[in-house]
Amino acid sequence: MKLTAQNLGIGYATRALASEISFTLAEGEVIAILGPNGSGKTTLFRTLLGLLSPLKGAVLLDDHVIGVLAPSAIARAVAYVPQVSANFANFSVIEVVQMARAPHLAWYASPGTKDRVIAANALAELNISDFAEREFAELSGGERQLVMIARALASEAKILLMDEPTASLDFGNQFLILDEIAKLKARGVAVIFTTHHPDHALRIADRTLTIARDGSVQIGATGTVLNAVSLTALYGIDIDLINSRHGPGIVAGFSSRHTI
Amino acid sequence: MKTRARSNIIFVIAVIAAFVIISLAFAVGQFPISIAEIVSLICSKLFGTISQAPPNADIVLFEIRGPRIAAAFMVGAALAAAGATFQNLFRNPLVSPDILGVSSGAALGAVAGIFLSLPLIAIQGFAFAGGLVAVAIIFWVGNKIRGHDPVLTLVLSGVVIGSLLASGVALLKYLADPFNQLPAITYWLLGSFASVTQRDIFIAFVIIFVASVPLFLLRWRINLLALPDDEAKALGLNVVRMRLIVIAAATLMTAASVAICGIIGWVGLVIPHAVRLMVGAEFSRLLPLSMLIGGTFMLAVDTLGRSIAQTEIPPGVLTALIGAPAFIALMAVTFKRQRG
Repeated sequence: MKLTAQNLGIGYATRALASEISFTLAEGEVIAILGPNGSGKTTLFRTLLGLLSPLKGAVLLDDHVIGVLAPSAIARAVAYVPQVSANFANFSVIEVVQMARAPHLAWYASPGTKDRVIAANALAELNISDFAEREFAELSGGERQLVMIARALASEAKILLMDEPTASLDFGNQFLILDEIAKLKARGVAVIFTTHHPDHALRIADRTLTIARDGSVQIGATGTVLNAVSLTALYGIDIDLINSRHGPGIVAGFSSRHTI
Repeated sequence: MKTRARSNIIFVIAVIAAFVIISLAFAVGQFPISIAEIVSLICSKLFGTISQAPPNADIVLFEIRGPRIAAAFMVGAALAAAGATFQNLFRNPLVSPDILGVSSGAALGAVAGIFLSLPLIAIQGFAFAGGLVAVAIIFWVGNKIRGHDPVLTLVLSGVVIGSLLASGVALLKYLADPFNQLPAITYWLLGSFASVTQRDIFIAFVIIFVASVPLFLLRWRINLLALPDDEAKALGLNVVRMRLIVIAAATLMTAASVAICGIIGWVGLVIPHAVRLMVGAEFSRLLPLSMLIGGTFMLAVDTLGRSIAQTEIPPGVLTALIGAPAFIALMAVTFKRQRG
């Protein structure tokens, strides 16, 4: 299963955000998407998921244009991991994870034994089986994010699109999630994730795609695309890359050019 | 305890409570009938045995109380089901079945029927049609506006159109004959099971049953409507179609209920909310349990209303008297739980 963006233009009827986005996500590959606020990262996700029509070009799932596929066929192949939200009030964790089985079930069916086992295994895989009967709303941000990943695993999709999976998590939990993405990669699951942290891309992404405010797009090996010059241009602040014993890292300076 | 196990226990308790309340509802009233006499009457109907009950008890049991009990239970169940559905659909545990203006539309239809001195069946038809037309208008307006958040747009349209319909009701009340029409309008707006006939029950039952079929078939998938639209779509759900089916089903249930017994508030708001606190939001559990407890609650209220005073107290008054403090208590519990 491969996901291809073919000369893709993204945005809305009144406003184009970026164009000429081309890549093919290989099995077990991790691509990070970086860009300032409002540059179109989430719009790219919505386009890749078939929720938004491209302004130009096409998204292909294997060799099929995603727009002509049934929503359930897309959902079986591509799982979406949203930012942690306050939804699911009064749902237990296992119920949230079982929702991932929707595209595998007939319209009138409820999860059966097989689906319940798959959902339980997804929790076990992330070592959060203890959460199963807890209310989702009671969990911490990091725990909720793990549950969202477990839900994606329970869908058995081979491609995961993760929208800022480390947003609003404390420093330790951010790296817990990054480690989980690395494990997914090792299992052959392909992942695209958006992030505001170049460090995270440097740590786990094979390739990185950047979308600048002017809509220009760069994609390539992470080590090539992310350097002091490109990051300074992308975010409008002076950025240095340093090497530590844990790998490359980012140090940002202050600049009057910085705009939100 | 696992939620599933807890909900099974609660279901058993609810079934026992329903049985007790139904028995009491048959027994109490201005013509008391003991449980032994009820059993004897039922046996005489079923097996042809000789009844020990006093004369005319069978008429009271099968022709007066029976239909009324059936109507109260059915309406309570339907309103609770519609409430549970709308609370899930609007991702808000504090909305009621008339959020999309069913009650306002039905009220205007019925009040117009009374104002025009139409027969009862026409008034009920007007109420039913008024409820459906109101929701259709609100859905149409919500779709035309196409706000960023379609659910919020729908709710706001409901509030605005509902207010407009309420002003129509107020105008007709102002213009109505104060001696004949106005009392009838007031009586209808408070709700009552006193004049419900077997024909009313049959028609409403067919509509409510048909409307409940898609809700039961889709009971698990309806959970996905609690998610943001993009997330639900990414799970393969056709959100627009599902929302339309669910709104149509819940609207039919509410309109059929309101048409036969007038406006009865609080049941559709408080019961699903209380059930959600007990067994969680999973709709496969929430729907049947809400219907069971909603029906039992409505029957208990109606039985109380016709037996505690010489004059019958309209169920709409009692549900408000019980519902308001119950709702405040539920809110307190909910917010306490949210604070942890």
